[in-house]
Amino acid sequence: MNEKHTPVYINGIGIVSPQKPLRAEGLLTEPVSYHASQLRCPDPGYKEYIPAELIRRMGRIIRMGVTASKICLKDAMIRYSPEHENPINPQAIITGTGLGCIEDTEKFLTSMIKNNEEFLTPTSFIQSTHNTVAGQIALLLKCHSYNFTYVQRGNSFESALIDAITQMKTGEFGNVLVGGFDELTQHSFAIMNRMGFWKRKPIDNLQLLNDHQRGTVAGEGAAFMFLEKQKHSGSYACLRGVEIFHKPASNNDLRHRLNKFLARHDLTEKEIGFTLLGFSGDTATDHFYHELIKSFPENSGFGYFKHLCGEYHTASSFASGLAALIMKSQSIPEIVRLQSAEKNSAPEYILIYNHFRGANHSFTLLSRP
Amino acid sequence: MEELIEKLKKEVIEQLNLEDLSPDDINPDSPLFGEGLGLDSIDALELIVLLEKNYGIKIEDPKDGKKIFFSIRSMAEYITENKK
Repeated sequence: MNEKHTPVYINGIGIVSPQKPLRAEGLLTEPVSYHASQLRCPDPGYKEYIPAELIRRMGRIIRMGVTASKICLKDAMIRYSPEHENPINPQAIITGTGLGCIEDTEKFLTSMIKNNEEFLTPTSFIQSTHNTVAGQIALLLKCHSYNFTYVQRGNSFESALIDAITQMKTGEFGNVLVGGFDELTQHSFAIMNRMGFWKRKPIDNLQLLNDHQRGTVAGEGAAFMFLEKQKHSGSYACLRGVEIFHKPASNNDLRHRLNKFLARHDLTEKEIGFTLLGFSGDTATDHFYHELIKSFPENSGFGYFKHLCGEYHTASSFASGLAALIMKSQSIPEIVRLQSAEKNSAPEYILIYNHFRGANHSFTLLSRP
Repeated sequence: MEELIEKLKKEVIEQLNLEDLSPDDINPDSPLFGEGLGLDSIDALELIVLLEKNYGIKIEDPKDGKKIFFSIRSMAEYITENKK
């Protein structure tokens, strides 16, 4: 299979994040600032997207995921059912999540403990599985096609992307709705806090990299992309390729992997106009990003995104959506830039390099459509 | 009875997460399933658990469910007759 010769276009984007709705026009001109240890998504108006009789059973992550998917389909101008006549539904729904519907899982387990394993109610149990979001999207759309959810820690979204790209390149599907999502709950925050994931004191999220405590700021969100083989006038970007890997053995290994990844797309570091890095402000794991920067020529452009969405297993889905929006707007928002790299404001290629807790690493490459 | 009906309305709203409804919106004589509140089979399971957990009442014969859960009033009457 030759990754280079079957383009996959990003033709729709839907993001629910701690930021205001993201669009190519006026992208992040008013970034939302929080003084907190965790960034949560405000209600974007779920009731606009989900029927009232269904929304009452849905936890926050299901609402976030379903809403992001519907924003995405609308953006891609897909005439999905049941809201359109002669509907055309996605040929596949592929999602990735690190913790799934953790709020419902917590409810179910808490109820088991509190009631001595009696009086168990069905709703939170039914909704607690990792594939609930993809399932609910399919039920809402009456879409009976391929439906798959990847759960692979910090590479969950990338695994979904790899499946989508592979199946499109092998001709299995002409289009795929692909997404990543994770939610923050007080329990999961507290447990990960004990493990030293988060900063001990609240910080100003927009000053994430200026805070020198260990840990990072917790986040959440849902981001969906509609991928198609055909390029449209409204296409955001071309998704060139994705690679995942576990804990690089050394700095050299990391640079070598980057070099090989780019070479597979006939590229070198100097042709990458802009690299979006997963800097989280955690002094224990940000060194990977500093190392990768050394691979690029001096005038290369770099940006970061976790000050906008926080850290979570599928934060890379936010990054992919953001990179595609940057590609379409052909300008890099000031709040995203790591260095003032004016000359790279209209990049031909954008590379995303992210890792979760130093363990699950990924490269994602986008180009102009 | 009226006091129990008001209490039940609140419990049903909470248990079924009927977030757009207040107790005043529920007519105690309206059907809970189909028309009326439009509840479904998953809600029926939630209501069975509610009766057992909050009132210690176990429904032994599932056929009785249709009559017991017809409305808030029929639930209240069943609780009054069977509460231990």
